[in-house]
Amino acid sequence: MEVFDVAVIGGGVLGCFAARNLCRWELHTVLIEAAEDVCTGITKANTGIVYSGCDQMPGSLKARMTVEANGNFETLCRELEVPFSRCGSLMAAFGPRGDQALGKKWEQGRKNGVPGPWLLSGREALELEPMLSPAVTSALYVPSTGTVNPWQLGIAAWENAVQNGCETRLNTRVLSMKRTGASYLLETDRGEICCRAVINCAGLAADRVQELLFPPSVRIFPDAADYLVFDRHAPAPGHIVFQEPEHDKKGITAVPTADGNLLLGPTRRPASGSFSATDKSALNALREEAVRVLPELDFGQVIRNFAAVRPHPHRVVWKNGEYVPDGSSLRDFVIEHPAPGFYSLIGVKTPGLTCADGLGRMLAEQCAAWLEARPAANFNPHRSVIPKQKNDPAFRDIVCRCEQISRGEILEAIRRGATTVEGVKHRVGTGMGLCQGSRCTLEIRRILGEVSHGNI
Amino acid sequence: METYEILIVGAGAAGIAAAKAAESHGCRRILLVDRAREMGGVLLQCAHHGFGPDLTGPEYAQYLCKGLPNSVRWLPETTVLSVSPEKTAQLTGPKTGQLTVRFKKMILASGCLEIPPGALNIAGTRPEGVYTAGQVQAMMNLYQEIPEGPVVILGGGDMGLLMAGALAEAGQEVSAVVEQRPRCGGTARNRKYLKIYQIPLLLNATITEILGEKLLSGVTVRFLKTGEETVLPCRTLLIAAGLRPDRDLVRDLGAPDWMYLCGNCNRIHTAVEAVVLDGTHIGTEAAEAIRGAT
Repeated sequence: MEVFDVAVIGGGVLGCFAARNLCRWELHTVLIEAAEDVCTGITKANTGIVYSGCDQMPGSLKARMTVEANGNFETLCRELEVPFSRCGSLMAAFGPRGDQALGKKWEQGRKNGVPGPWLLSGREALELEPMLSPAVTSALYVPSTGTVNPWQLGIAAWENAVQNGCETRLNTRVLSMKRTGASYLLETDRGEICCRAVINCAGLAADRVQELLFPPSVRIFPDAADYLVFDRHAPAPGHIVFQEPEHDKKGITAVPTADGNLLLGPTRRPASGSFSATDKSALNALREEAVRVLPELDFGQVIRNFAAVRPHPHRVVWKNGEYVPDGSSLRDFVIEHPAPGFYSLIGVKTPGLTCADGLGRMLAEQCAAWLEARPAANFNPHRSVIPKQKNDPAFRDIVCRCEQISRGEILEAIRRGATTVEGVKHRVGTGMGLCQGSRCTLEIRRILGEVSHGNI
Repeated sequence: METYEILIVGAGAAGIAAAKAAESHGCRRILLVDRAREMGGVLLQCAHHGFGPDLTGPEYAQYLCKGLPNSVRWLPETTVLSVSPEKTAQLTGPKTGQLTVRFKKMILASGCLEIPPGALNIAGTRPEGVYTAGQVQAMMNLYQEIPEGPVVILGGGDMGLLMAGALAEAGQEVSAVVEQRPRCGGTARNRKYLKIYQIPLLLNATITEILGEKLLSGVTVRFLKTGEETVLPCRTLLIAAGLRPDRDLVRDLGAPDWMYLCGNCNRIHTAVEAVVLDGTHIGTEAAEAIRGAT
């Protein structure tokens, strides 16, 4: 049996940031992840927006955290050496219903303390963003909105946690939990872990993980979304563009990402059997709607589609032999605290990525207070990115042609924990270009094989 | 800074031919650069016969290299990172190091790239087992791996038919070649594989969905005339949806008078002989332009 102070269950972006922030205290922490790598679940299919705070209800935890996190994002990304683009956003309306909704969001943004949201006329919006359809009637311009690559951010937080002493158990699933005195005993498929506190960030499984020990209170009812990714050279707006729709359907979002590709989506549809499967009709509807907002989009330059899951939380009640949603809507972050030393983030959706560090910090503080931990004297918030150049021949051996990524960078990604082609992609960006890995995947697989056989 | 009369990017059939032609027309300072260890480009992964006087790809590459004069400087395992409007190029390679060279003319012979699966508007999951035709060809001939059958092939052109034959010959079940058009596009030479191995050809059909979580389990085929859909179970989906010239390196340069394109980065050719002709023609043109200017 292994003994720790705190166990973080789930290595998505939230778990990685919880782990990172626990390192600010003298706490022996373990991060437990069921998959072979961190950030392979909900985190990897995210719109990647760093929200401003105009969309959140004044007075809510979400509103307060979002505005604060947005203001600190440069600092966070500098600490973790993750690219961040503060490109600003335009929420565009195309009729009276949209105009009215924008007015409300403007007011909300002002109340929440968002720096300078501006209401623009259609003509002003077109001047700022010429790619918009001339049919635009008004727009809410928010200069503080930005974008970050979600898995780069999560992996950076994890690496920072590891360098500050956090341990990780990958490929490890928590099967059951017990409370013995002041401790929690976690039975996993790879042995037992004993700890004094648990932070549950298990994403889509967060409700089930909490229910291993406590009766159901909040459950996740997911729906699904689809996205399209464009080649880096495809026509793209300079700002994040949100459509404020005139109908009841979801408006489109277009994000010129920090990686340089345009991301279009998300759709909204019921989740199907497979969480990673995109839906034909939803993708077609997305295309049709998107050209109404951005008529010059070139769908001939789409290089990929992917699906995402949004984990909607609902309080549940026992009715007719099963737990069903109680009908109220949970609009704020759900942080469950069913027993001393046990914290759960259940169904954290938008703006979860924006607030990941803030939520992690809040939970770590609560946890540290409960465990009466002292601040760690030597916490280092800085994590270094994998360098592009090094005085090493392997860094001049280009493997991924589209993104010009070297064998040296790939080896470094593997040294830092990548065990799959996707893990390498998430760390150095191989396969993200025009050919989508068709020219480098075999070579990366070979390198992975050589490393795992100890030949390098 | 090293200075050359001509920089040739890519040592496939087009680049080799261009180098030979330029040299025979009086150029003495030619730099030929390729990412691979050997000359030949995509020929090196073509194990089948049918090149020139019925040679395999690597044999034909050797045949082309014969008569390449020693005065042509050959830099293997070297990637051209960028080309500037001032006629310099940044090169990098494990043995080459970081190198900037100056040139008078540049011949781009960088070949083509395959249209990736993601560009095809196919919905569904992203499991392992979805490859482009060129990827499978490299897998079989350079990495000695054979993708697992049953295999479904999207695209009834030469590449799709050729790989159908290669996979069937390697003992894998090819359950269908799916072609959007009303007839198959390949040459008779490649069409014969369908008969030999009795591979079903589904015309007026396309693939609309990829199925399977970690590993591919099947594809949804849609028949365009009837709108009918059916699921074909498979472990490998091979996409042979076409090629496009790879001009990524010079995307931002426009079309300056010192830049020449030849081979498949100029336009997609079907026969290697045509690529060689294009390379020879362009190599000659570049050399004459240099001679004319001096």
